[in-house]
Amino acid sequence: MMANMTEIANVVLQEGALTDPTAAAALAVGLAAFGAGYAERGIGAAAVGAMAEDEDLFVNGLILTVLPETLVILALVVVFLV
Amino acid sequence: MSTSGTSNPEYVNARVRARRAALFSDDEYQKLVRMSPAEIARRMEETEYEAEINALGTRHSGVDLIEYALNRNLAKHFDDLLDFSEGQLYDLIARYLRKFDAWNAKTIIRGLYVGADRDSIETDLIRAGEFSDRMISRLLDAGTIEDVVTILNGTIFGEGLTEAYADYEETDLLVPLENAIDRGFYGHLLDDLPNSEPVQLYREFLVAEIDFRNARNALRLARSGADIDPAAYYIDGGKLFNPSELNTLVQNQEELVSHIRESSYGRELTDVLDELEDADSMISFERGIEKALLAYSKRLGNVHPMSVAPVISYILAKEREVENIRAIARGREAGLSQAEIESELVIL
Repeated sequence: MMANMTEIANVVLQEGALTDPTAAAALAVGLAAFGAGYAERGIGAAAVGAMAEDEDLFVNGLILTVLPETLVILALVVVFLV
Repeated sequence: MSTSGTSNPEYVNARVRARRAALFSDDEYQKLVRMSPAEIARRMEETEYEAEINALGTRHSGVDLIEYALNRNLAKHFDDLLDFSEGQLYDLIARYLRKFDAWNAKTIIRGLYVGADRDSIETDLIRAGEFSDRMISRLLDAGTIEDVVTILNGTIFGEGLTEAYADYEETDLLVPLENAIDRGFYGHLLDDLPNSEPVQLYREFLVAEIDFRNARNALRLARSGADIDPAAYYIDGGKLFNPSELNTLVQNQEELVSHIRESSYGRELTDVLDELEDADSMISFERGIEKALLAYSKRLGNVHPMSVAPVISYILAKEREVENIRAIARGREAGLSQAEIESELVIL
């Protein structure tokens, strides 16, 4: 899936279709969100597994699961730059 | 649940690690060694094994209670593993856990052979493999060994069993049937394994297990001096021996030991091989190779956390725990000394 995303980005950039900075920024944020989602997939699965064994781990699991969200927040900076 | 879809090592490994942490520690074994069987059962009630001890406490007592509780707990955990896992991971775990299918099939055949009744066969089963409850109750209901062979037709054991049944009818010995089951299991263990680095290491681990098993059988044969064809006990798939080598090595223990020493396992087994030559004791050698296997699987699990390796390492550790506790309980019951019991334990 990740490989496909970079391919799409490559195609879009090479064809020169992406001349509008706002559209480029939107794409950047979207890709960052994809990355965050992919990272959370694994962490979430592990966190739920750990919680199933020991319910006290709920808070830790939740925090670790949403950590990759910082990727999207940092990517949002781009929106304000264009 | 199934072999379709992608595997989910993150989830399974999180659960396996939590369960691994619940295994008995070194200190706890030290305490258990000093307890009587009844005290061990009471101690187990305060741990992991509470549900099983309570469920079986009314029907069994003493060492039997401990043993059945251990088996049932083992089966529960291993069944869970198969429930959790999906995709390729399920396939890899199931391959290894089919050894309990083999165990169950052998137990049922042996039970029928000696004419044991259904209940007593059933208590000896370990329902940890891939056979469903329905399959097992069909096997239990089978009245004769021939029926069992027919029911097992279509499983991985089917092919070899049908041939072995003819042998059995001629000789009236269980050996061909049991060998056929073992070969069915080991034959499918290494069948078309997928190609990736952790899986290749898993394969290496399985090969090591087969090699160790062959080595142990060969040593036992060499020491017993019995006139048995070693090829009958040879398991395919190992790289330590080939059948003809084994035939000559079994005649001479010294050559056999030096053959193992020169192999790729030599370094890990140096200590136990020295001990075997000095003390001439089979026990420490057998414990030694089990320890080496356990240590190897643990290292593999740490190196490749997102693969089947941690699961296999947990399965081995859990099996060892069950065997350790059983050895302690049986040893205490038979009145063995602490030192003797400790020499039977495998603690990493």
